[in-house]
Amino acid sequence: MMGRFILKLTAFLFFSFIIYTLTLILFGEYLPSEWNNNLNYKTASGGHALTRFREVKTVKSADVLIVGSSHAYRGFDPRIFSEYGYNSFFNLGSSSQTHLQTEVLLERYLKKLNPKLIIYEVYPGTFKADGIESSLDIIANDKNDFESFKLIFKHKHIKIVNSFIYGLYRDISGLNKGIKESKRKKGDEYIDGGYVQKKNKTFRNVSNSKKWWKVRDQQLDAFDGIIKSLKDMNIKFVLVQAPITSSFYQAHQNNDYFDSLMDSRGTYFNFNKLVELNDSIHFYDRHHLNQAGVNIFNKKLIQILKEKDMI
Amino acid sequence: MLFNSLEFTIFLPVVFTIYWVLQKSKLKYQNFWILASSYFFYGWWDWRFLGLILFSTLVDYFAAKSISSSNGNNRKLYLWLSICVNLGFLGFFKYFNFFIDSLKNSVLFFGGELDVATLEIVLPVGISFYTFQTLSYTIDVYRGKIKPTDDFIAFAAFVSFFPQLVAGPIERASNLLPQFFTKRTFSYSLAIDGLRQILWGLFKKMVIADNCATFANLIFNNSDDYSGSTLFVGAMFFAFQIYGDFSGYSDIAIGTARLFGFNLMKNFAFPYFSRDIAEFWRRWHISLSTWFRDYLYIPLGGSKVGSITKIRNVFIIFIVSGFWHGANWTFIVWGALNALFFIPLLVLNRNRKNLDFDEHQNVWIYLKNLFNRVLTFILVTIAWVFFRAESIDHALNYLKSMFTKALFTSLDSKILEDSTVLFYLISIFILLEWVGRKNEYALEKLGMSWPMLIRWSFYGLIIFSIGMFMVTEETPFIYFQF
Repeated sequence: MMGRFILKLTAFLFFSFIIYTLTLILFGEYLPSEWNNNLNYKTASGGHALTRFREVKTVKSADVLIVGSSHAYRGFDPRIFSEYGYNSFFNLGSSSQTHLQTEVLLERYLKKLNPKLIIYEVYPGTFKADGIESSLDIIANDKNDFESFKLIFKHKHIKIVNSFIYGLYRDISGLNKGIKESKRKKGDEYIDGGYVQKKNKTFRNVSNSKKWWKVRDQQLDAFDGIIKSLKDMNIKFVLVQAPITSSFYQAHQNNDYFDSLMDSRGTYFNFNKLVELNDSIHFYDRHHLNQAGVNIFNKKLIQILKEKDMI
Repeated sequence: MLFNSLEFTIFLPVVFTIYWVLQKSKLKYQNFWILASSYFFYGWWDWRFLGLILFSTLVDYFAAKSISSSNGNNRKLYLWLSICVNLGFLGFFKYFNFFIDSLKNSVLFFGGELDVATLEIVLPVGISFYTFQTLSYTIDVYRGKIKPTDDFIAFAAFVSFFPQLVAGPIERASNLLPQFFTKRTFSYSLAIDGLRQILWGLFKKMVIADNCATFANLIFNNSDDYSGSTLFVGAMFFAFQIYGDFSGYSDIAIGTARLFGFNLMKNFAFPYFSRDIAEFWRRWHISLSTWFRDYLYIPLGGSKVGSITKIRNVFIIFIVSGFWHGANWTFIVWGALNALFFIPLLVLNRNRKNLDFDEHQNVWIYLKNLFNRVLTFILVTIAWVFFRAESIDHALNYLKSMFTKALFTSLDSKILEDSTVLFYLISIFILLEWVGRKNEYALEKLGMSWPMLIRWSFYGLIIFSIGMFMVTEETPFIYFQF
C-alpha cells in the first residue's frame, strides 16, 4: 500500500512538474505581465545587463575586473582607465547585485577573465538586500546553468524558481538570441567594457531622515566566502565604496561600523571620505554618480591604486 | 510553523514517514510520535507556551479521572476546576487588556479616572481552540457521554494533535480520542484523499485568501479615500479572504490528519451558497457552532423554551461567539448583527428550511435560490465589515460611506486594473466550489470520472496557479490570532 502510494505520488509530482513547466511557458510567452505575478523575466531591461553579459562572453581576459551593484557599472569608466594605460578592463556590475550574485558571476567568469586585480564595489545597501531583484536580472540576461540553479536554494523564492525554469526554456530554444538591446536608452549609454554612462543629468537634493546600514547574515557570509576564495586563489582585490551624495551618506548613523567591517576584510577605500563632490553637480540621483562625478572619482581611484602599487 | 511554509513541507514528510514506519510497533509509539511532533510543531512558534498546553492537558486529564471516580458535589467541583483553569488561561491571555480598557473607558464615561496598567501579553497561538477542545472532554465525562482515559500520552496527543492544534476544527473527544486507541493502518485511498484536500486548502489560502487580503487591506486601511462601490468590493474581498483563509486551513488540517489515518470533523460546507443566515451558520465554522450549541445553547434551554427566551439564547450564543473571536467590541457587534439577521427566521420558524443542496430542476426555484444566495452573501459581507474593521467607528464610517449613491458608480480604476486577474481567479474558484458543493470539499469527487492524465493535469494546473499567483510574503492564517 505504502509502496504504491509513494510510487504514484512520485509519478504525479513528475507529471505535475511537466504540466507546471508547459503552463509556465505558455503564460510567459502569450499572456501579459499582469497574469505573470510570480514570473519576473525581463530581458534587456534597465542597466544594459544583456549587452554586458553578451560582451563578457567575447572578452578573453581582463587585468582589472569590477564587480558590484549599479554603483559599479555606473561608477567605473573603462575609458578613464584606458587613458592611464589600463586597456584590459571589464565591468561586471549588475543592478542591485548583492554578494549572492557576485558569487555566481565570479564562479562563471573569474577563470576565463583571469584578472590581476578585482575592484569589489561594496555599497552598504547590498548587505541588507535579499538579492532577489538582482538574481532575476542575472537569470533573464545571462545564461542559466548550475550556478543559477543554486540561486533557487539560496533565495527559496517562487519568483526565482519560475524565472529559472522559464529562462532555461528561453536559453535552450534560443529565443533570446534574436533580442537586440539598444546601446542608448532612457538617458543611459552603454560603453564597451560594461560601463553605463549618464551624461547630462544632475540631482536636486532632498533632505534625508536618519538611517542605519543593516547587514544580513546571508549576505555577509557570501561576501566572506568570496573574500576567502580570492585569497585562496591569490587574486589581488580591493574593496571600494563608491561615493554617494554627502547628504544621503551623512544621514546614515553607522558609517564607521560599516568602514570597520570592510577594513577587517581587506584593503578598503571609502570614497565618500576621499573625494570631494557636489551633490547637485556630480550625481544624478541620491546615490549614483553622473559622468562628471565618475571622472573625478575614477581619476582619484587610479591615483590611489598606483600609490599603493596595486595596478 | 505555518502550513504554507517551507518548514512544514519538510516537517510533514519526515513525521509521516516515521509515523508509518512505527505502524508495525505498538500503537503507543505512534501516539508518542504524534505527541512529540505536535509539541515540536507548536514549539517552533514559541516553545515557552508548551508549558501552558502541558498544564492544561494535565489539569483536564486528572479532572476527568476525578469526575469519573467521584460522586455528587465533588464531580461538579472537579468540572468547575477544569472550566476555571481553562477559561482562566483564556481570560488572562486573551481578554485581560480588553477588560481593563473597557473598565477604564466606563469610569471615564462617568467622569472618573482609573489608573490600572495593562500588560504586554502575548496571545498563545491556538489557545481558544485547544481550550475548547479539552473543555469538551471534561464536560462530556461529567455528562457520562464518554469515559475518561488512563492513557496520558494518547490524551496529550489528542489535545495537541498538530494538524488542528492552532486553528481547529475544534474536535470533540467523543470523535477524535477513540481514534488514538484504534490500530491505524495505512490507507492508500484515505492518504490520496488527504493530499487532494491539502491541495485544495493551499489553493484557497495561497491564491484566493492572500491575494484578496492585499486588496482588502488596501481598501480597509484607506477607506476614507474610496467611494461606495470600491468599499463594497473591499468588503467582498474580505469575505473571500476570510473564507479562503479559514476554510483553507481546515482543509489542510483535515487532509493532513487523513495522511495519518485520522478523520476530523467537517468545518465548512460551502457557506457562501447558503440561502439564509441560518443555513450560513450551519455551514460556517461548524465545529465552533456545534460546540456552542452543545455546551451553551442546549444548557440554556435550547429551542425547547418560550420565544423570548429563545431569542435571548440566540443573542447570547452569537455574542459569545463574537467575543470568542477576539477581545474587541467589533467582534461582539459582528456577533450581535448576525443574531439580528438570524432572529426573524427563528421567529417565523424558517430557520431550518434550507438543510441541504438538493434542489428541484425548476428555473423559478433556481432563480429564487440564486436571489436568496446573493442576499445572504450581502448580509454576511456587511457583517464582515465589523469583523475586519479596527474599531466600531471605523466600521460605521465604512458602511456609511458604502451606502451612498456612490455604491452604484464605477470602481476605483487602479483597484479595478490591479485586481482583474483576481476577479477571474475568484470566478474559477466559485465555479469549482459550486460544482463540488455536495461533497466534503470541492475537489473530493471532481474529475474522478475523467481519464487519469486529464485529472492529473487538472491538479497540475492548480499547483501551477499556486506557484504563479501565491503572495510571496509569508502570511499567517487569520484565525491564528484567535
